[in-house]
Amino acid sequence: MIQTILDALSFGGLYGLAALGIGLVFGVMRLVNFAHGELIAIGAYLLVITVPSLGLLAGIAIAVVGTALLALLMELGVFKRLRSAGPAVLLVASFGVSVFLQRLYEVIFGALPISAQVAPWMNGVIDIGGTTVTRGSIVTIILAMVLLVGMWFFIDRTTLGLQIRAASSDFQTARLLGVRSNRVIGAAFVFSGILAAAVAFVVVTQRGSVDPLFGVNITILALVGTVIGGLGSLQGAALGGFLVGSTISLLNAFLGNYRVYTYTWLFILVIIVLIVRPGGIVASRGTKERV
Amino acid sequence: MTLLKATDLKAGYGKVDVLFNGHITVEPGELVGIVGPNGAGKSTFLGAMAGSVRATSGAIELDGQSIVGRKPEDIVRLGLSLVPEGRAIFSDLSVDENLRLGLTGRRLKDGASAALKDVTDLFPVLTTHRDHQAGMLSGGQQQQLAIARALVSEPKVLLLDEPSLGLAPSVIQDVFGVLGRIQESGTAIVVVEQRAHLVMSIAARTLVMREGHVRATLTPDVAWDEEKLAEAYFGTGEDES
Repeated sequence: MIQTILDALSFGGLYGLAALGIGLVFGVMRLVNFAHGELIAIGAYLLVITVPSLGLLAGIAIAVVGTALLALLMELGVFKRLRSAGPAVLLVASFGVSVFLQRLYEVIFGALPISAQVAPWMNGVIDIGGTTVTRGSIVTIILAMVLLVGMWFFIDRTTLGLQIRAASSDFQTARLLGVRSNRVIGAAFVFSGILAAAVAFVVVTQRGSVDPLFGVNITILALVGTVIGGLGSLQGAALGGFLVGSTISLLNAFLGNYRVYTYTWLFILVIIVLIVRPGGIVASRGTKERV
Repeated sequence: MTLLKATDLKAGYGKVDVLFNGHITVEPGELVGIVGPNGAGKSTFLGAMAGSVRATSGAIELDGQSIVGRKPEDIVRLGLSLVPEGRAIFSDLSVDENLRLGLTGRRLKDGASAALKDVTDLFPVLTTHRDHQAGMLSGGQQQQLAIARALVSEPKVLLLDEPSLGLAPSVIQDVFGVLGRIQESGTAIVVVEQRAHLVMSIAARTLVMREGHVRATLTPDVAWDEEKLAEAYFGTGEDES
C-alpha cells in the first residue's frame, strides 16, 4: 500500500517535471515543443555513455549541461528564425526537429537500445516502518520536490522569472516594457532542457537502457498533462503532469492483470476533465498573440 | 531641439498598411493630441513609433536618433514608452510586480527606487493596493497602474492610447489631471483620444487623422469650434491633403 502511494507520487512528480518543461516553452512562445522528448533522450544517452566511465556526479553534470545546450540550440537554430511565423508553422517545425533528432540519434548511437546501469542502487529497497519500498521512488519524489520548489522560486521570486511570467501572459506588452524577447525565450528553453535531463535521469535508472524513441511516450503523456492542467499556466502544467503520472501509476496498481486498459481509463478521465473544464484545471487568461 | 519626429510613416499588419502618412513632431515637455474616427490609424501610428507595429517606410527620430525598425524592447530603453489601448496590465501579477516590470526598460541604472517612489506619489492609490492582484483593481486604477508602469522607466516621451476608454467621466478627470503633472516633470506626452474636446483643451497641438492620414493640425482655440472640428474630422468633400 505504501509502495503504491509512493509510486503514484514519484510517477506524478516525474510527469510533473516533464509537463513543466513543456509548459515553460509553451508559456512564452505558444509553441508545443514535440522535440521535448528528444531532449529527454539526449539526457539519457549522455547519462548512459558518461556515467560508467566518469561516475554518477560527472555524468549528471554533463547530461544537464548537454541537454540544456541542445534545448538552446533548438531555439537559436530553428525557432528563433520562425518568430514571425504562425503557431501551425511552429508546431510543424517542432515535429520536424523531433523526427530529425530521432534519426540523428539512430545514426550516431544506433537504432538498438544502449544499456548501462546508471544508478543501480536506486532499484534497491529500504525499510520504512516495517514495509519495504524502492529507493528509486523516494529519490524521485525528493528530486521532483526539489526541482519544483526550485523552479517555483525562480519563477516567483527572481526578476527573470517575473519577466517569464509577464511574457507568458502578454508577450507584446512585456516587450513594450523592455523585456528582451530572445533572452526570455532562451531562458525558457534552457530551463526546459534542465528539467528534461532530470526526467531522463529518473527514467533511465528505471529502464536501464535508451533508444532513439526514449522520450516520445513520456512527452505525449506530459503534453496531455499540460492540456488538462491548463495550457499557458505553469502551475497548471506541473499539476496536470502530476495528475496524469499518478493516475497512470494508480491505475496500473489497481487494474492488476487488466493493466492493458490503463491508458483507456486514463483518457476516459482526461476526456471527462476536458468536458467539465475545457480550459484546463487552472484556466489561463493569457491567450494573446505572441511575438 | 525636436524630441520626437516622424515623417512619411507607413505601417500596418501583414501585407496590409493601415497608416499611410504619419507625421508628428513633439518638443520636450509638450503634450500633443491625436484624434480621429475609428479605424483612422491612430493606434497603428503609436504602435509604429513604439516598435510594436511594423513600419514599412518613413522615418522616426527620437532625440536625433533613428528608431524606425528597432525592437520595442530597445526603443523603450531609448526613452519612448507606450501605454497600449485597453491598458494591458498583467492581471495575474500583483500591482508591485507590474510596476517592477516597468523598471526593465530603464536607460539609467541608478534611481530605480526613486522612480518607483515618484510614481506612487503621483498615484497614491497604487501604494494602498501594492500587494493586490492587478486584475482586482477598478478600471481607473488599472489605467493609473498602466501609466505608472510606463513612467518608472522615466521616458522622454510617453505615448498614451485612449486612456479614457471604458472609464467613468469623473475617473477620466483624475487620469487626465495627472497628465499635467507628468508634463511638468519634463516628460513629453502624445495622447490618442476618441474624446476630441478632452484632449484638445490640454494639448499644445492636436493632429486629426482619417483613413490612415494626418489630415489637419488644430490648436487649442478651436477646441470648442464644432464647425472647424467637424470639417477636420469628416473633410469638406474635397481631399485637402
